[in-house]
Amino acid sequence: MNFLEWLQNTSLAVAVGESWFPWVEAAHVVFLAAVAGTIFTVDARLMGFASKQMRISYLAQHMLPWTWAAFIGAVITGGLMFMANAVGYATKAPFLIKMGLLLGAGLNMVYFQLVTYRGVAGWDVGRPPAAARTAGFISMVCWIGVVAFGRWIGFV
Amino acid sequence: MQLSTWAIPAIQTVHILALALLFTAALIVALRFWGKGLAVEPLHLLARRFIRTIWLLLVVLAVTGILLITAEPFRTISNPVFYLKMILLLVAVGITAWLSVVSSRQLDRVAAPHRIAAAFTMLLWIGIMFAGRFIAYYDPY
Repeated sequence: MNFLEWLQNTSLAVAVGESWFPWVEAAHVVFLAAVAGTIFTVDARLMGFASKQMRISYLAQHMLPWTWAAFIGAVITGGLMFMANAVGYATKAPFLIKMGLLLGAGLNMVYFQLVTYRGVAGWDVGRPPAAARTAGFISMVCWIGVVAFGRWIGFV
Repeated sequence: MQLSTWAIPAIQTVHILALALLFTAALIVALRFWGKGLAVEPLHLLARRFIRTIWLLLVVLAVTGILLITAEPFRTISNPVFYLKMILLLVAVGITAWLSVVSSRQLDRVAAPHRIAAAFTMLLWIGIMFAGRFIAYYDPY
């Protein structure tokens, strides 16, 4: 807990807590909207629901740079909000569940990129195989959970 | 209306998920007006499918938004930030409808005013999200 106490007593954390919080939180909403929205667009294609006429590799190539740019923004703004009350957040169940779901989404993505996506040439057009559809589904469930538990943090 | 404690965060979550999709659809449309993003798809086809998605999501946002107002009317009705949000929303809807008409003409070239308007909608959606969050912080009393 010493590190977290130190963190929330830094002048940056105090400034966030005392005056910047609403602006940081609003910016976090904008970034997370871009992260979740672009990911859902790719997930929907992977599950075979939308953008069916578009190559999966093309869609991913043009969406995911936006996802990553927005994710960096969401991590920075999220980190600033966490600092403002580090000890409190670190013990809140919704925060810990949200972090677990982020980890789950990350592991799902790594497995998809390293294993499933290697064979994308065979299903870039048309209906993706079960492994790709499953990856899209897991991703969507994780990110819906991230948004839900993220919002819940503000209520406990 | 009396709502249980989890109802408000749950409705807000649906509201946020819908705005995430709307923001992304608007981004895809705006990028396409600049010849970027999913440029492999002709503008009129891409705009039709994503602007249709935007209208559908606005219905979801209106329904969840009205539920949130009903749950906590005093927070919203007397709040100038809420009215700012609604004005920005009307402008964003107006420009999006105009861009929808423009794209359906299947012009060879997209004129500069259309590209600028498309980029401007992104600023409006960001402003709408900021205003939405600030409804919770602005104290009218």
